[in-house]
Amino acid sequence: MTKVVVIDGSDKVLASVVRHTGAEHRRLANLVMEEALGQAAVAIDDITYIIATGYGRISVPFADKQVTELTCHARGVAFFFPKVRTAIDIGGQDAKAMKVKDGKLTDFVMSDKCAAGTGRFLEVIAQALGLKLDELGPLSLKSTRKVPVSNICTVFAQQEVVNHLSEGTALEDVVAGLHDAIAGRVARMARRLKVEPDVVFTGGVAKNVGVVKALEDNLGCPVLVPSEPLLSGALGAALTARETVAKLQAQGTFAPVKGRKLEAATFFK
Amino acid sequence: MVVGTKQGMARVDELYKERAQRVRELKSGGKKIVGYLCIYPVLEMMTALDLVPFRVVGDMREPITKADSYMPPVVCPFLRSCLDTALKGKYDFLDGMVTSHICDVGSSLSGIWNYTVKTPYHYHIDTPHTVHQTSLEQLRGLLGAFRTSLEGFAGKKLTDAMLKKAILLHNEQRALVRELYELKKPDPPLISGAETIKIIKAVQSLPAGEANALLKGVISQVKSRKNGPEKKSARLLVWGSILDDSSLIEMIESLDANVVMDDTCVGSRPFFDDVKLTSDPIDGLAQHYLVDIKCPRTFRTRDFFATKKNYLEDLKTRFSYLLDYARAWNANGVIVESVRYCDTHGYEVPGVRDYLKEVGLPSIYLEHTYTEGALAPLKTRVQGFLEIIS
Repeated sequence: MTKVVVIDGSDKVLASVVRHTGAEHRRLANLVMEEALGQAAVAIDDITYIIATGYGRISVPFADKQVTELTCHARGVAFFFPKVRTAIDIGGQDAKAMKVKDGKLTDFVMSDKCAAGTGRFLEVIAQALGLKLDELGPLSLKSTRKVPVSNICTVFAQQEVVNHLSEGTALEDVVAGLHDAIAGRVARMARRLKVEPDVVFTGGVAKNVGVVKALEDNLGCPVLVPSEPLLSGALGAALTARETVAKLQAQGTFAPVKGRKLEAATFFK
Repeated sequence: MVVGTKQGMARVDELYKERAQRVRELKSGGKKIVGYLCIYPVLEMMTALDLVPFRVVGDMREPITKADSYMPPVVCPFLRSCLDTALKGKYDFLDGMVTSHICDVGSSLSGIWNYTVKTPYHYHIDTPHTVHQTSLEQLRGLLGAFRTSLEGFAGKKLTDAMLKKAILLHNEQRALVRELYELKKPDPPLISGAETIKIIKAVQSLPAGEANALLKGVISQVKSRKNGPEKKSARLLVWGSILDDSSLIEMIESLDANVVMDDTCVGSRPFFDDVKLTSDPIDGLAQHYLVDIKCPRTFRTRDFFATKKNYLEDLKTRFSYLLDYARAWNANGVIVESVRYCDTHGYEVPGVRDYLKEVGLPSIYLEHTYTEGALAPLKTRVQGFLEIIS
């Protein structure tokens, strides 16, 4: 997903847009930006500073600076929940846990190169079950006897799921088992950092109420979810941009970019 | 004697790309080339007998295709790559191969190498893993046996005088490497972390005398050049398992950081302590290769025979040299890295990180799979770490 958040000098959100990234659109962050500018009713020349974050941060030629999603997520989450100490983000690419203090990132851990424990895991399994992604959460809440899914590989877990179904296990019990598997993996990873409340959960998977519940069960504490869990990284980038400008202005070294062009990234040509 | 036309860093780059270039020349001139795995085979004995030691490494740019027939895929990818490289004929110039008990996989590889690569001379030193007195005595005996075997291979007697001369030559090399590392103390350092790996790899591809001449050339060139590394926000210390390719460090140095010090084995680890010249040279060699080199393959603890241990005191004994490095090279962060499936370094990681935390040095742990293409996801971790410490 490509997300853009535009804020003003008092941290008021003027626009927020979320669009599928896709293969071709990987280089078209400019189109999402244009949409956001339209929503905010401002021109590109009105934008003081742009920070690009996330896996695609190098594909945004019109950005002033690149900052990792770790720092930006921590910042964005702390904006919604100032008392946050532990932030967990499960997206389509990876899962990460962050320790936050006074709104700043202090430590982090990220999942390794494996789809299990990411949103991709649920996408693959939902497809195998013939369900839409947003049906998984409510369905799993109906479960009375979740089945354990022990495989840590997305492909093998899919086979395990099919096997459970062929044995007549109820669909909701299988889905609840899947949510427990993904939440268990991420909780184990997060515990390496010492989980302290408040715990905030973001990323696309945080929209799934089944995983939120499974994460609470695994961590043994309440888990807070912002109303727009996909936007914390982009919001964090916007907040970091505003702070960067303030810092540069205080040093007397801020030089605003003039005539910024919204261009597509060209390195795929 | 032909020693190549290029000098200094140009020669380093040449040898980094084609490591065996010089030893192939020496072999055609009648010299015997002896491969060695990791840093525990005793190079001084080879040098003393006019054999040319050549460090065996893997190739992280080459997919492992042949070694999987002999080694399971869930063991050290570096050692699998070493075997794979050999099975593809890239070590066909070796007349001998010397291994030691670096770890269980390394020891098993020694036997597999013997049966599959079939280097004409093959010797395995069963180096102990603890540093108490009885292990030292054991290693002295083992080195005596290696000496006899190597004499048979070289076809001549290895006298104490020859051995002492070789120890002095290798100590000169150690002093030169330390002098090179002094050039990493200024800010910005005069030499990058990526260049350091290339230099040490070149040193480990040449006979000791030629390597020393190369080091001298590099040191004088680096001191006077104008295009060294730029000043960056972070000065990092890298601790961990073998990095025989510069790509991981290049990735780190493409960000806002210079790698100014390391404790790795294509780095400072084999060079920071001299071999003491003892009346029986074997005593000094045993002490050096068992006690002085600080690789996690050797288990060291503060008070070996105590039944109750004090964890923090123990960590201090084992890792305080890292704090000394960080202070002397003014490092403000530590990259703790290990190749995946390296039990040896893996078990050490929590202790190293606990110690660093205790002394207030921020650190990050990076596990890599010994493949160049898999470094990109690590970049986000390193960049995130730099954002925290800056």
